Amino acid sequence: MGALSLEHLSLSYARRGDAFLALADVNLSIADGELVTIVGPSGCGKSTLLMLIAALLKPTSGAVRLDGRLVTAPGSDRALVFQDFALLPWRTVLANVALGLELKGVPANARVEIARRHIAMVGLSAFERAYPHQLSGGMRQRVGIARALAVEPQVLLMDEPFGALDAQIRQVMGAELLRIWERGRKTILFVTHDIDEAIYLADRTIVMSASPGRVIADIKVPLKRPRPLDIRNDPAFTAYRQRIWDLLEREVLASNSWGTAAGAVA
Amino acid sequence: MSAEAEAPSGDIALPFVMRFGAARPMIGAAAVTLFLLVWQIVGANEIIRSDLISYPSEVARTLIAMSASGELGSNLWVSLQEFLQGFLPAIAFGIAAGTAFALVPRLHYLCEPLIVVLNTAPIIAFVPIVVVWFGVGTQSKAIMVFLAAVIPILINTMTGIRQVHESWVRACRAFGASRAQVIAKAILPGALPPVMVGVRLAVGRAIVGLIAAEMYVSVRGIGRLIQVYSSSERAAEIFVLVAVVATFGFALVTLLRRLEGLIAPWSLEP
Amino acid sequence: MSPRREQIILGIVGTLAFLVVWEIAARLDLINPIVVSNPSRIAAAFVAQLQSGEIFADLGVSLVEFAAGFGLSVVVGITLGIAMGLNRPTEYAIDPFVWFLYSSPLIAFYPLIVVWLGFGFATVVAITFLLSFVSIVVNTVAGVQDVDPQLVRAVRAFGGTRFEVIRKAILPAAVPLIIAGLRIGLGRALHGVVLGEMFSSNAGLGYRITFHAAHLRTADVFVPLTVLVAIGLLINALGNALEARLQAWRP
Repeated sequence: MGALSLEHLSLSYARRGDAFLALADVNLSIADGELVTIVGPSGCGKSTLLMLIAALLKPTSGAVRLDGRLVTAPGSDRALVFQDFALLPWRTVLANVALGLELKGVPANARVEIARRHIAMVGLSAFERAYPHQLSGGMRQRVGIARALAVEPQVLLMDEPFGALDAQIRQVMGAELLRIWERGRKTILFVTHDIDEAIYLADRTIVMSASPGRVIADIKVPLKRPRPLDIRNDPAFTAYRQRIWDLLEREVLASNSWGTAAGAVA
Repeated sequence: MSAEAEAPSGDIALPFVMRFGAARPMIGAAAVTLFLLVWQIVGANEIIRSDLISYPSEVARTLIAMSASGELGSNLWVSLQEFLQGFLPAIAFGIAAGTAFALVPRLHYLCEPLIVVLNTAPIIAFVPIVVVWFGVGTQSKAIMVFLAAVIPILINTMTGIRQVHESWVRACRAFGASRAQVIAKAILPGALPPVMVGVRLAVGRAIVGLIAAEMYVSVRGIGRLIQVYSSSERAAEIFVLVAVVATFGFALVTLLRRLEGLIAPWSLEP
Repeated sequence: MSPRREQIILGIVGTLAFLVVWEIAARLDLINPIVVSNPSRIAAAFVAQLQSGEIFADLGVSLVEFAAGFGLSVVVGITLGIAMGLNRPTEYAIDPFVWFLYSSPLIAFYPLIVVWLGFGFATVVAITFLLSFVSIVVNTVAGVQDVDPQLVRAVRAFGGTRFEVIRKAILPAAVPLIIAGLRIGLGRALHGVVLGEMFSSNAGLGYRITFHAAHLRTADVFVPLTVLVAIGLLINALGNALEARLQAWRP
């Protein structure tokens, strides 16, 4: 169904004449129906990882497999949700949600019906005919999620989807995402730089190093579901948070966003 | 102009802003009224020769006379025809060429010197050549309008298509769009606002080209009227013509802005 | 081959191809060589005008008129713009007139100026001034008004007087937009010079164009025209360079 396997994935590209290694030998196995979060410092390549899985980028070496089949091109078996929402501003909510279906070749009647269903799933039925510029950030992202779910993907790839929203909305959206996920239990790969968010959502959290990105920890998070918002105050939660922060602090200080030369450890 | 923020009197940041929010139109209107008043007094009483500067009531009278006699109407009609004969093809060609250049950069590079020349050189300088080549009739005027208008439209179309938001293209590609689908669903709709801005910018240049060509040599048209009255020192008539040309330009640009707001309201949001 | 180099080479190829086709068409009488002219005739005319010195005299006149008109518009434009930007009532009072000049095709005002100032140098300078000073004013006002209030607060908080605030926060922050206005003004000033010389002067490049055109000497028309185009390109390049240097600190 939605089993992902990343094998020796590496990506390097030319930057100002030099070869820049973005990802170094990433190996990961994700089972069908797992909600896996990926957390790491800025610039560590976690978004690049999603782009490789979505096949918007080609790896320098290594392979991505979905249910054993090699992934080579974008397709509706993997759907992306973007940090900047990436909605087409001249289309209504309905038309935006239908975009993926349109590109799949689904006929018009069926498109409308499927899109409507998914808009209802994210609670925006009243805004079917609204335009993105009339909606708040949280609402726009819900449209983005509906658009991704509408093509019935095997894997949902979410690239810091709540990064552009304010802190309170972010928490509410997280709960909302879990609610939607419980209904279908799709495989989700969720990238974030927010540790709390990573733990709150996850079955598993992958911690990545500063660039060049590699996996430095794979932590199971067997907290009970459904998870109330205040689970963030639980001692178990706090323990995970501390553990991940200890791993990350070193990486953040070593990363470019702190101003240290790449590779040096503070 | 930036929005009027009501600065609290304790705010040290804006010591120069006095609280005149609602007074803008009032002060503006007062200044214009004062100007008209002074003009009327100076002109009507020949404090300065009235055939040099005229005065508001004489201008109004002349406007009515020129309209009634059909002089204004018939020449305006000729100019309008010449304008459209040049402007409409400029839109079609400018958009087509701009799209081609955006999608096939090599083509753009081949023609770039010509585009740059037509863009930076004063378009008026080409009037004599165009007239020598295409005669003294309406054809040369239409061609001047075309040359003046096609460049901003072409350039804006080209940059509009090139600078379509990365995120729209990425969204379509992520859902499996082919190149043709990306162009149809993301690039063309996304480039529409810049194209419309290009058309709006072309209006001013086109009018200048038209009037200049008509002033240079023509039998009929607003430009010719301007030339005739300027050599016979008829200030009132000239003011009327100035107003006519200015109003036409302003009306067209306003119309286009409205159209922009209708067709692509989303592009006006920040 | 780097993309930049490819761009330049294709540009040169395109231009050469155009000139070659033009020349051949004229030689084969596909177009009337007397009326339309062709590159070889134009080159000959260039040489002749260079030798006679005619082109330099015209160039000199045009440049002087340009400098005078543009210089005046810079002084008046920036001064007025700063005054309007800093003092709202002034802005409100003058704005309708500026707006009218900004949105009208200013070519329509040309005959008025001829009526007032007659033919010659003064008229050309006046038209040049009129065409270019409006965009300078508009951009200067915008530049002054769009200064980030935080910058003003910062200077004030560190004890700056009113004049120091203007000098150290407002004016420097307004520079990019002022420069943008100057760039537009440069282009429009060139338009003004050409307009004035073509219709109300008997010297200068613009006049020379109409002079040769009136005698149907098409090849000769292209000489001052080409010089004008070259000036336009030069101004554009200078403007670009100036803007780039002064905006190094912007993102």
